[in-house]
Amino acid sequence: MEDWRRIDIDSFDPNSGRLTNDDLIPPYAHHVTLQELQPKIAQLRSLATSGDMSSATKLATEDPPYSADANTKAVYFQAVLEALTQVRQADIATIVKQLSPQQQDVLVKYLYKGMSLPEGQRQGGILLAWFEKLTQSSGVNPIVHFLSDRRTV
Amino acid sequence: MSQSLRPYLTAVRYSLEAALTLSNFSSLEVERHNRPEVEVPNTSAELLLQPMHISRNENEQVLIESSVNSVRVSIKVKQADEIEQILVHKFTRFLEQRAESFYILRRTPISGYSISFLITNKHTESMKTGKLVDFIIEFMEDVDKEISEIKLFLNARARFVAEAYLGEFVY
Amino acid sequence: MLHLQPNNLLIQKTLSEAIEAYGNGTPLTLDRIISDFDYTTFHISNASEDKLTLALSIRTKAWQSVSQCTGGPGLVAYLQSKYANYSGISASSVPESGYDYTLLLDLGKLQPEAMKDLSLLKTLVLGYAFQLAFNEFVTLSAAPEGTESETNILHTIKYRDDENLFIKPSYDRITVIFETIFQDETDKVFGKVFLQEFVDARKRNRSIQSAPQVLFSHEPPLELQNAGAVASMNSSDTSRRFITFVLFPRHFQTPELQFSTLSHLTLFRNYFHYHIKCSKAYMHSRMRYRVDSFIKVLNRAKLDEEEEDIDQQSKQQQTRRTITGRKMVSY
Repeated sequence: MEDWRRIDIDSFDPNSGRLTNDDLIPPYAHHVTLQELQPKIAQLRSLATSGDMSSATKLATEDPPYSADANTKAVYFQAVLEALTQVRQADIATIVKQLSPQQQDVLVKYLYKGMSLPEGQRQGGILLAWFEKLTQSSGVNPIVHFLSDRRTV
Repeated sequence: MSQSLRPYLTAVRYSLEAALTLSNFSSLEVERHNRPEVEVPNTSAELLLQPMHISRNENEQVLIESSVNSVRVSIKVKQADEIEQILVHKFTRFLEQRAESFYILRRTPISGYSISFLITNKHTESMKTGKLVDFIIEFMEDVDKEISEIKLFLNARARFVAEAYLGEFVY
Repeated sequence: MLHLQPNNLLIQKTLSEAIEAYGNGTPLTLDRIISDFDYTTFHISNASEDKLTLALSIRTKAWQSVSQCTGGPGLVAYLQSKYANYSGISASSVPESGYDYTLLLDLGKLQPEAMKDLSLLKTLVLGYAFQLAFNEFVTLSAAPEGTESETNILHTIKYRDDENLFIKPSYDRITVIFETIFQDETDKVFGKVFLQEFVDARKRNRSIQSAPQVLFSHEPPLELQNAGAVASMNSSDTSRRFITFVLFPRHFQTPELQFSTLSHLTLFRNYFHYHIKCSKAYMHSRMRYRVDSFIKVLNRAKLDEEEEDIDQQSKQQQTRRTITGRKMVSY
């Protein structure tokens, strides 16, 4: 070891009190798999195609698969994004008002996630419209919740 | 203001307002240091909050990274063609060279973005948070306007110069 | 200042100063170096013992290539003929060392009208190649049909390090091709905008329809490819551009038109770059202004110092002071 002075000894100490990203994820009793999630995705798609956007949004933002692995989340996210982008601009405000505060918190997570990915960025306009309506109905609250929430979608 | 610019700026405004709740925080790593946690390689993940991406489209984005005592705001300015790329590069460089009078401006943008701001608790203590947000919003509006105006000017000048030169050959 | 003048004002000024001083009986001792575009340098000097004779020397990058242009009386003879009408101007048989050409001016005989032509010396040097082309055009256009194919006269003026100027006379037109390279990335982009406008200007503005046609290409134009001038070029350089001016007989019918055309064409590169620099300067001043306005907006965010002052004043009123000015602080 040439540069032993630079070795970070604290990282070898389990009692150092340091937290990594993994430590911050809340422990889940059960990890949702893609198979378990398939029925929900199918239901979401059928609601979206039938045009019942209000129910689709509610379903999408209810009990999101926090405990699933990245791949499963991506599949679920695709379904949510599809549903969100099918809503007509004029309906967004009414749908947002029907959501519970918890559901709004989840919605914000999907909006930010959508805008961080290229497929969502292409739909930037509609995601921003959702965002605007959301802030009009509940202000800065959902965003603050998003900032500190360690459960990711 | 165009139809899709308003929601974009609103989203940035709300996100910034949510993120700009900073407090003084001494470094956990080094005794008697106080550093912006969003900037240092961090071994304490709990100090960083969820990053926020706001994008109007692929070419116009804002990334807000938040931590306990600092927020880093990075803006990707629209660059539709070669001329705009040059202009944005020149303009942001021009600003960055004057970073000391801008207090919150970061001297180099983070990779993938045109310009970055770093707001620490020192800034929020000595300045009004609301006005800081106003500044960033106004900045975003004006940069786009400025770039397109310079571009228009350049084309207009080129046209005028070319016509004046060729006009000399008309006998 | 929109257009660049083909004459060199400094030469004109220096010469008129010299003549005036000579007329007043106090001749100047001159040793003045004057620069012009495209690595051109003039030297105006006189020997301290002989104040009557001024030497005007020119050194220009284009000299060698222009003097190699064939088909005319030769560059030196051409210049001689240009100045032969004026009294007091004679060419030195041996140019001053380090310079390409030297004119000896007799201050006693020099007429003020000659000064204008003397200040055009650089334009005349470059103009020789144009003049040759104009003359060749006359012979080519007079030649019977069918013989035009063997015209591969191509005059090359190497007036800068990497940039050349080509003149190709033909039986119905004269093609002038500029080769340009942009060193700076910004110049390259700006240059593209400007060149595009040069190409489009004629189509857009009806009043300049009769101006020469301007073409712009990345590849050497056919005129150059046929003449085999391309081989000498470094084709790997992707930033190389070619700007072609097509001159029709209406642009060089009379000697006055010929001179006007060539003096504008020789300054094309300078004009073009000059305006790119101007645009950059304007852009810079705009940015400076914009930075100021941004700083103003940011300063609005600062907590007002005045407000703090008022707070302090109201506090001061509450704190009582002793007669020596010390504060009485109660804990």
